[in-house]
Amino acid sequence: MHIPDGYLGPYTCALFYIVMIPIWYKAFRWLKGLKPQQVPLLGVLTAFAFLVMMYNLPVPGGTTAHIVGGTIIAILIDPWAATVSLTIVLLIQALFFGDGGITSYAANVFNMGVVLPFVGYYTYRFLTKRVGLDEVISAGIGAYVGIVTAATVAGTELGIQPYIQPGYCPYTLSVSVPAMAIAHLLTAGPAAAVVTGAVVWYVRKSRPDLFEMRKILRTRG
Amino acid sequence: MDRLTKALLTAVAVMVVLSPLGILLVWNYGDAWGEWDVSTIEHMVGQKLPGMEKLSNAWNHAVLPDYNVPGWEDKLHASAGYILSAIVGVALVLGFYYVVVKLTSGGAKG
Repeated sequence: MHIPDGYLGPYTCALFYIVMIPIWYKAFRWLKGLKPQQVPLLGVLTAFAFLVMMYNLPVPGGTTAHIVGGTIIAILIDPWAATVSLTIVLLIQALFFGDGGITSYAANVFNMGVVLPFVGYYTYRFLTKRVGLDEVISAGIGAYVGIVTAATVAGTELGIQPYIQPGYCPYTLSVSVPAMAIAHLLTAGPAAAVVTGAVVWYVRKSRPDLFEMRKILRTRG
Repeated sequence: MDRLTKALLTAVAVMVVLSPLGILLVWNYGDAWGEWDVSTIEHMVGQKLPGMEKLSNAWNHAVLPDYNVPGWEDKLHASAGYILSAIVGVALVLGFYYVVVKLTSGGAKG
């Protein structure tokens, strides 16, 4: 889901930098209020997000996809924590590993660091609070919906590029959206659901307070 | 450090060691959709993409491109390069994270 340099034209890239400015402002304001006890936890989850993206999974048809870990961070800490994490991870990936791009960086953070964790988290919240579904199952469904939505948004950005300015991504929406959505519906989505469900199951066992505290204090909930 | 952070740290270590699975499982697969290099996609669509040709060079200073040491092509070398990339990546991510936390003084006061 890392859009490389060259796929989005300068106008599209600039638009996402403009969109990201207030979001980054809000995310780093949130980080300022992070409790000292949570600093190591968010650090290790950020490292986890970096590593989980190295696990490329085979997609039928010969391409690959990976999970992101954004919904896990959103559920265990906060969706804004996921934005901070993915902002850091995607920058390191672009600069040192050539994964993603510099011009497309803001668009990639928007997809994987904003759309994915927020959609994942609010799906999870809706299922636990309104539907009354189990936390583990809700987390799995949330992660699935989050990553498929993010991939669809990335596919949309790529697919509208030919209409905005030709010479960049040549594929239109009718190709890019199904391609991105199907890869994540079939492969990365189920993987994200299993991993996220497993982590939430483990955390509920080992640190139930992470879930209880949020219920009692309604901190940043 | 609480129990959860410790457990996740163990998971991070295990994931570093097992990271070559991330390339070996997809060894004969192509790139992820929409992540081909310029010449590949130009060949696929049979046309020149002048904008992409220019912008794709915006950054070519990656030290470990595609999470590998350039030239380490076979499975064994690529796996070693992948583990090295995982270690370097985790170190960079954590280092940068703590700089960002410090700069925003996140976690400084309860």
